[in-house]
Amino acid sequence: MALSRDVPPQVVIPTFVDGRELAVWRSQSGRIAAWDDRCPHRGMRLSHGFVRGESLSCIYHGWSYNEAGLCQRIPAHPDLVPPEAIRVPTVAAVESDGIIWVASEPASQPPPTLTGLVALRSLTVEAPATAIATAAGMPIDQDGALRPDLAGIACVLLVQPIPGDRTVLHVLVASNASPAAQAAVSRALEDLRRRVESERLAA
Amino acid sequence: MILYDYILSPDCYKVRLLAALTGARITLRPVDFHPGGEHKTAPFLAMNPSGTIPIFEDDGLILTESSAILTYLAAKAGPAWLGDDTPAMRGRVAQWLAFSQRLSASIGKARVHDMLNKPADIQACRRAGTQCLREIEAALVEQRLAGHAFLAGDRPTIADIACFPHSMLAPDGGISVDPYPSIRLWTRSIRALPGFIEMPGIHRLHDLKPEPGPIPERV
Repeated sequence: MALSRDVPPQVVIPTFVDGRELAVWRSQSGRIAAWDDRCPHRGMRLSHGFVRGESLSCIYHGWSYNEAGLCQRIPAHPDLVPPEAIRVPTVAAVESDGIIWVASEPASQPPPTLTGLVALRSLTVEAPATAIATAAGMPIDQDGALRPDLAGIACVLLVQPIPGDRTVLHVLVASNASPAAQAAVSRALEDLRRRVESERLAA
Repeated sequence: MILYDYILSPDCYKVRLLAALTGARITLRPVDFHPGGEHKTAPFLAMNPSGTIPIFEDDGLILTESSAILTYLAAKAGPAWLGDDTPAMRGRVAQWLAFSQRLSASIGKARVHDMLNKPADIQACRRAGTQCLREIEAALVEQRLAGHAFLAGDRPTIADIACFPHSMLAPDGGISVDPYPSIRLWTRSIRALPGFIEMPGIHRLHDLKPEPGPIPERV
């Protein structure tokens, strides 16, 4: 879903799993959570919200939700204990090897092991995953990854399809790659995206 | 120092923001940009024949380009905002000041098209705006690899002030900012600066403020 380094404490980001809009956020103490990206009050995206301590608040009317997704405070009614029915649906989120994973269904498999790698960046490509696989000249493996060499560095591109025939690539590189080598990989990714998107425009 | 100002203009906001961050005292003169079109009237065209705002006036000097105003205000009120006095830093800052014109011509134009019904080739504006945001994101990825949180180095400069407003306001022109994790963290770093001020569409970091009251206890 995202790189751990892109969601530091008190940051909330929008993402998708199986077309479902999610807000992924990290509390002040470092806990990661993935919720439906809708405030139960007025439907505002919670990914526009803000994190104080261990709760996420909606930007619209400030309703705040505790770590279980339960509404704990309605600023316009400061003395009211919100009813337990006001709750944001949550999905399971785990972190491993610098990547935040969200389970698409309750019995999902554990994430693949990605040792010896360091997370570099995520980038969105305006093309389906199959077009990226074609440009990279390899199939997507059983981990949902492409494993090309970019700028001479072994890379893992985790493939996340999102609505609108778009794809997010979460990119990891060999952990012994220098910052200069990582920057070269980042530029090679820009080149890969240009090739995929221009082939798509031509077609 | 007088700024002829419009509250919804990102280019005017850049000047207000740098003044707030440096503690410079400027006098704001509101311009009826919309619907009045006051910036196209004779007194304004006498100051600025190009018919744009902001216009900045100080001690007989008139400046009309936001990047020039930022340079002047920084030199006068906060030279650290110009970056270190090295050729590389001067070049990097000038690069982003020039780049910010592309943001105005793409995202800025898409925004006035969507908000004020000004004519534009909206699809072309959005494509160009997305391209600009991708370039900023790629540059920030490389800055982060070098341990730097800002566009031109490890501390904020007028390069950041010049590129920050349009990068946040892109959704006003129908351009998503969701796909850019490094831009998200960079805009948070700017909004966390002491003295930061808001404009409509760019809010402060509410997470930096304490909870306004106690959380009611469940019994």
